[in-house]
Amino acid sequence: MVAAEKLMSVRRDWRERDVRVVLVALIIAVATVATIALFASQLQRTLVTSASSFLAADRQLEAENGREIPPEWMHEATRRGLETGRMIEFSTMVFGTGGFQLVSVKAVSDEYPLRGEIEFQASPDGTRTLASGGPAPGEVWINPRLLRLLELEIGDSLDVGSRSLTVSGLLIREPDGGFRLSALAPRVMMHVDDVPSTGVIQEGSRVEYVYLFAGEEPVLDEYHEWLKPQLHPSHEWEGVRDGETFSRSLQRAERFLLLGGSLAVLLASVAVAVASRQYSLSQRDTVALLKTLGLNGAGIGRLYLRRLGLWGLAGVVGGLLVALPLFWLLTRILSDVLERPVDFYLDPAALAPALLTALVSLFAFAYPPIRRLRQVPAMRVLRSQPGESGREAIPDIVVAILAVFGLVWLYAGELVLVVSLLGGLVLLLAVLGLVGWALMALLRHVKGGGSAWRLALVGLYRHRRASLSQMAVFSMTLMLAATLVLVRSSLLDDWQAQLPEDTPNHFLINISPGSVEEVSEYWQENGQPLSQLYPMVRGRLTELNGRPVKEAVSKDERINALNRELNLTWMASLPADNEIIEGAWFKEGQTEGVSVESQLAGRLGLQIGDRLTFTIGSAKVTEPVTSIRTVQWDSMKPNFYMAFPPNGGLTDMPATWITSFYLPDQGKQALNEFSRRFPTISVLEIDHIIERIQLIVGQVTRAIEAILALILAAALVVMAAVVSATLKDRQREGALLRTLGGRQSLLVRSTMMEFALLGGFAGLIGVAAAEAAVWALQYGMFEGSFQWHWPIVISVPLVSAMVLALFGRWQLGPVLNVSPMLLLRRLE
Amino acid sequence: MNQMAHPNSDQRQPMLKVSHLTHRVSLETDTLTILQGVNLEINRGESVAIVGRSGSGKTTLLGLLAGLDTPSEGKVELDGSVISDLSEDARAQLRARRVGFVFQSFQLLPALTALENVMLPLELAGIEQPEARARELLERVGLGERLGHTPRQLSGGEQQRVAIARAFASDPVVLFADEPTGNLDNRTGQSVSDLLMALNREQGTTLVMVTHDEQLAARCGRQFHIEAGELTEPGSAREAAD
Ligand SMILES: Nc1ncnc2c1ncn2[C@@H]1O[C@H](COP(=O)(O)OP(=O)(O)OP(=O)(O)O)[C@@H](O)[C@H]1O
Ligand SMILES: [Mg+2]
Repeated sequence: MVAAEKLMSVRRDWRERDVRVVLVALIIAVATVATIALFASQLQRTLVTSASSFLAADRQLEAENGREIPPEWMHEATRRGLETGRMIEFSTMVFGTGGFQLVSVKAVSDEYPLRGEIEFQASPDGTRTLASGGPAPGEVWINPRLLRLLELEIGDSLDVGSRSLTVSGLLIREPDGGFRLSALAPRVMMHVDDVPSTGVIQEGSRVEYVYLFAGEEPVLDEYHEWLKPQLHPSHEWEGVRDGETFSRSLQRAERFLLLGGSLAVLLASVAVAVASRQYSLSQRDTVALLKTLGLNGAGIGRLYLRRLGLWGLAGVVGGLLVALPLFWLLTRILSDVLERPVDFYLDPAALAPALLTALVSLFAFAYPPIRRLRQVPAMRVLRSQPGESGREAIPDIVVAILAVFGLVWLYAGELVLVVSLLGGLVLLLAVLGLVGWALMALLRHVKGGGSAWRLALVGLYRHRRASLSQMAVFSMTLMLAATLVLVRSSLLDDWQAQLPEDTPNHFLINISPGSVEEVSEYWQENGQPLSQLYPMVRGRLTELNGRPVKEAVSKDERINALNRELNLTWMASLPADNEIIEGAWFKEGQTEGVSVESQLAGRLGLQIGDRLTFTIGSAKVTEPVTSIRTVQWDSMKPNFYMAFPPNGGLTDMPATWITSFYLPDQGKQALNEFSRRFPTISVLEIDHIIERIQLIVGQVTRAIEAILALILAAALVVMAAVVSATLKDRQREGALLRTLGGRQSLLVRSTMMEFALLGGFAGLIGVAAAEAAVWALQYGMFEGSFQWHWPIVISVPLVSAMVLALFGRWQLGPVLNVSPMLLLRRLE
Repeated sequence: MNQMAHPNSDQRQPMLKVSHLTHRVSLETDTLTILQGVNLEINRGESVAIVGRSGSGKTTLLGLLAGLDTPSEGKVELDGSVISDLSEDARAQLRARRVGFVFQSFQLLPALTALENVMLPLELAGIEQPEARARELLERVGLGERLGHTPRQLSGGEQQRVAIARAFASDPVVLFADEPTGNLDNRTGQSVSDLLMALNREQGTTLVMVTHDEQLAARCGRQFHIEAGELTEPGSAREAAD
């Protein structure tokens, strides 16, 4: 069978259109899935390290009791192979040319930061650079505002306690300088070895010693196990901090990628399925011929199986060749986002889904119709036999659908996702069946005639089998694409809503009750009215229903909130972005009760009615829980775990006031004057953090858009594959219609209309199913409420009608410009 | 079913008038001359057979006569219009109203039923009640019971009969048939050719037919021979035409 094998050579294969479509579909499948999986895994790893860089390490040990930890603890960490570093944080007065100022000092060792980088500027108008270490001994880096406040210049000296240090640069951003209320005053960074000589730290001063650790996760965990029994309550072991806006954005981006990847898997399998079914149909005559030549069913099976294997190989190799440059591009974007090199690392685990996709789509989709080729009767050569009824394909389809959803499940690991998508698809098929049936029942009565419209309608009815199956694939494809677009827009809207243009970027803290009015007036005059000021009382939660809280709460719950003083407040109305999930907000005039933040309430197991006792200074306050509410921690507004009613439990407690507001760049002058006029009020500038988050969200958005484009391209290819499946039939029909006297314009118009109708219906059904899937996803995977997305509901059917009309026109192309004679000869 | 009156159909004019028809196709390396200086005149209602060896250019000639292709040189006049000068759309319009074609390989649309295949030219010509007319024709060719069947479910002879019904559907003044019995067995071929001749007689259609079949050729009024692209009319069987 040498000749027969020659007939099957891959080079010959490539010349066949149907095979090309199968291969292109496979290549796109592998490429999209591989790119997305690689990028998602990259993002995941980056997430962990980015989150770490918020600590400047993988873990921090904070000693809040003003004492250093025993040196053995650090020795032990080093012995276990962990990197270590340390820092000391304290507040003090510093003196410069222009006066003195309360600052918050961070003294760091040479190793700082173990993770992340310091953003640094050598002079006020120099460029920002990234440094991997802090100032050398004898030098300080200071916050730019402090430079102006103290009228300093680079190279001047700054007195910290009894030590005089040289200002050698400006500190723009520190990796662990996240948003913390404890970092109140302008920052000064110095070397840890200079601290003793300042003489600032004495017995009883408020100092925080912080120790940094970095290394392999398991080693860190083992070390923590070893350390745990020796820790004092004032010691706090801190891991990756969650709830940061930055990492949340990335996490959602990651979920989006996961969804995108799953959809890519689905789309790709659809493309492979359609193309290979078409291929197997076109092979029936060849198979019959081979059989008359004496090849048996098993031989034919082997022949085609080998081909599938070769295609699989070609698909994987081709797909990876496309995926790798794309992935490389995305890592470049990512490293731009993070402003640090991201290694181009090919995670083998991330490549697996791509290979699996190729395998599953080949064997679940391409193999069954090809396997059935073995049963093609040799008789076919002599007499054209009825084609497949499609009924025998039903078990194959069921198996294939199960296979592909298994694949998605394996890939995304999210049952909700699989169920939403499967549900959406089932709904879609049901609706499609119904609409298709109704449509055909209606069209049956349309009589043909010379008008393009009637011809189009009649055509739709006459091609009902092809029309319905094409409609199924189109609407499925459109559903998947629309789902992704919808999820993307809700994601982006969320992000935009999260950090709007005027997100508060400055905090004013420690405003004494007496100066609240004056402060408000000041900003009113300077054109930046303060929206809301909150009182703040510091206190500890000490008892729960009369029992000490540490006993009342189970031991393994590590609750930071219990270890430190909480910020308590009172307010009359619920902040707009908070939401009551249990109980009721304080009524007017109510003075009893406390409202607790929902996550803390969950961890403490609080119920409405539980009695909480707070220790504030030497006083104790006990109040019942009257409501539990959610808080937007990343809103950049003052947020509180505990809120009391006005004139409630916090009355007469020592309070200071806090507020946050948006100050544009040009307002810095007013800020400097403010600091001079109200030296006791702390100003916390977080504009750099916000800028950075906005930048990151912007870049992540771009990466997401790139992925979306990739998937939409895949969708287009699927549609093209489906349309081209009937290409030959359509062209024969076109040629014949022309010999029968159909005019070109009539042919063009009726074909475009027929396809536009097909596309329009498919678009409508697809978009409806997408809305259903998004509705399910909204509840399952992404928070947010559901609404109809009218622009999409309207535009998808229109666009799909247009695209399909163009596809139809493109199909007709060769029929129009060639003489009918030649066409018939060619299509014979 | 009377022949439709066309404004420019003058009964004395020949139905088909071909002069100096030459057709070449360019291949990758050289050009191939398929037809060379063909002259031909066919009157209304005549039946004409063109015989010749395989590859001699019969199908090509028929296609040019029917306006399915344009010749490299020469003139084709069909029912008073010089079709070799017409635009493709104008030729299509002409075909829709006045020309029927039966192909060597049937050329039915596999997705459509027999009935729908026959309705196709009627719809294109914008004729009212295409279904009734199509039914009538299918019954005429003996396929009244097979209206809903697709070509795959029909035998070769049945398919050819559907093709003939389709060719006659729009009441053509001239019918071109390319080896209508070539793919059929003797008896089926016989009944198909009977049908063609009968329809030719009943409707007064001019019939131009390509065939290998000596018997069938003999039933036509005139016979032409084509060899290596050149057309000759042997003997003088001319008087048997009418
Ligand atoms: N478009 C074309 N390109 C190349 N060669 C062509 C083309 N059209 C026709 N020919 C060649 O011209 C010759 C005549 O073709 P034609 O189909 O007219 O023959 P025929 O007499 O109908 O043959 P048969 O009896 O086998 O159907 C053949 O050799 C054919 O291969
Ligand atoms: Mg021929």
